Amino acid sequence: MISDFFDIFQYPFMQRALLAGLVLGGVLAYFGIFVVLRKMSFFSDGIAHASLAGVAVGLLFGFAPLFTAVVAGVFFASLIYFLEKKTSLSADAVIGIIFTAGMALGVVLMSLRSGYQPELISFLFGNILAVKSSDLVFIAFLAAVIVGFLFREQKKLILLSLDYELAYVSGVKASLYQYLTYVLLSIAVVLGIKILGIVLISAILIIPVSTAKLLSVSFKSLVLRSLIISEAVVLLGLALSYYLNLPTAALIVLVGAAAFLTAVFIKSVSARRAS
Amino acid sequence: MTAIEVKNLTVRLGERIVLNNLGFTAQEKEIVAVIGPNGSGKTTLVRAMLGLLPFKGEIKILGKSPRQILGEVGYVPQRFDFDRTFPITVGEFLSLSLKKEKTSRIDEVLKKVGMLPYKNRMLGTLSGGQLQRILIGNAIIHRPKILFLDEAISGIDIEGVKDFYSTVQSMKEEYKMTIMMISHEINIVYKFADTILCLNRDLLCRGDPRKVLTKETLEKLYGDSAEPREHQHR
Repeated sequence: MISDFFDIFQYPFMQRALLAGLVLGGVLAYFGIFVVLRKMSFFSDGIAHASLAGVAVGLLFGFAPLFTAVVAGVFFASLIYFLEKKTSLSADAVIGIIFTAGMALGVVLMSLRSGYQPELISFLFGNILAVKSSDLVFIAFLAAVIVGFLFREQKKLILLSLDYELAYVSGVKASLYQYLTYVLLSIAVVLGIKILGIVLISAILIIPVSTAKLLSVSFKSLVLRSLIISEAVVLLGLALSYYLNLPTAALIVLVGAAAFLTAVFIKSVSARRAS
Repeated sequence: MTAIEVKNLTVRLGERIVLNNLGFTAQEKEIVAVIGPNGSGKTTLVRAMLGLLPFKGEIKILGKSPRQILGEVGYVPQRFDFDRTFPITVGEFLSLSLKKEKTSRIDEVLKKVGMLPYKNRMLGTLSGGQLQRILIGNAIIHRPKILFLDEAISGIDIEGVKDFYSTVQSMKEEYKMTIMMISHEINIVYKFADTILCLNRDLLCRGDPRKVLTKETLEKLYGDSAEPREHQHR
């Protein structure tokens, strides 16, 4: 059975899918800790949907859609940051506007292309099996930059997430780090679209860390458990998708949801035993 | 030596003048207490001094502007609203303010605030009083020369308040700190402060609390019927 499991990774497309899944699963789970702590899941959802405009530009003008989607993601993240600073609107309202406007722009641009558009479906719902070698290099490079930033600036980011004023008085350049968080999160989310798609990407940001949070009592254990859960969920989802011939992204999300419900059950049982 | 120098300080929030042309100084190793009724501008004063609010006038802390002094001052906020379910231990929280994690320094500070046994406890499981002690520890972990306490005792019981200020005073001696604190507790101010600032948009009095805090001053500050807020027992 175990040898059967590893057999599926003898195919190059499965090897690329595995590598992309593990790299993105790790990056998104790590970033997810700060997303959950700062209640930024609507931001990541908004960026994912708005980046459809970037995908459309890529497909329409013959550029790599992943690259143009990253550019669009950074642009929209900067726009959200700017509008939050310069207007009295709440973050939710600003994100809601960018979310829908970006998506609408994408729909209009896509309508300029005639015929069936399989790439669009793959960006909406993810297609990890279609990851190309050039995508993998692009993903690996940006993932290394993001993980390097998160690891190096982890203390400042946690302090900023816990209390903005305390971080500011401690000497953290709060506005700069907030902007960098927006930009790098937008890049991580757009890269993740390759495996889970625009519609489902938030799941891998939120589910592993929310599951790990139920079972952790320290930040170190939270990071470790989030990473392990995320990688296990991606791996299991990928394998199940191969054997059951069902959509990979949806199975990854469903495996994640099952892991979360299991953690809720374990937590409630252990709380009942303790009381 | 002068630790804090404020000249012609005016702060507006929208159209409203919250602080009007304040001026005062504080010497090194002094405990300065700021008192005044609700809405008198106490927290605004501290926030301006920390560079959290725009202001007109001049603020110098150890000869530097508020923005230049960030990272060198200690600060215990009035409220510390964080996600209490977030898994971070007391030790991990204190390490956030250190450039390189130094277990010995974290242990030393926790011992100082009487919280060493809680080092591996989750921050979110602490009581209000315990959390305030950890925030004090966090504020002094990098041995600041100036400490700001913004109503840092709200939520602590009366015994906890005495312990809290005894801890603050012992740390002041040890680290030779200048402390600026906002307080509603006149008895605490009498006991611990070297200088008092009575604030109600304007600076109404300044000096040794034992000399300045007369019945007339308190009436002028809080109004005829108003009394300084009683300590909230929890």
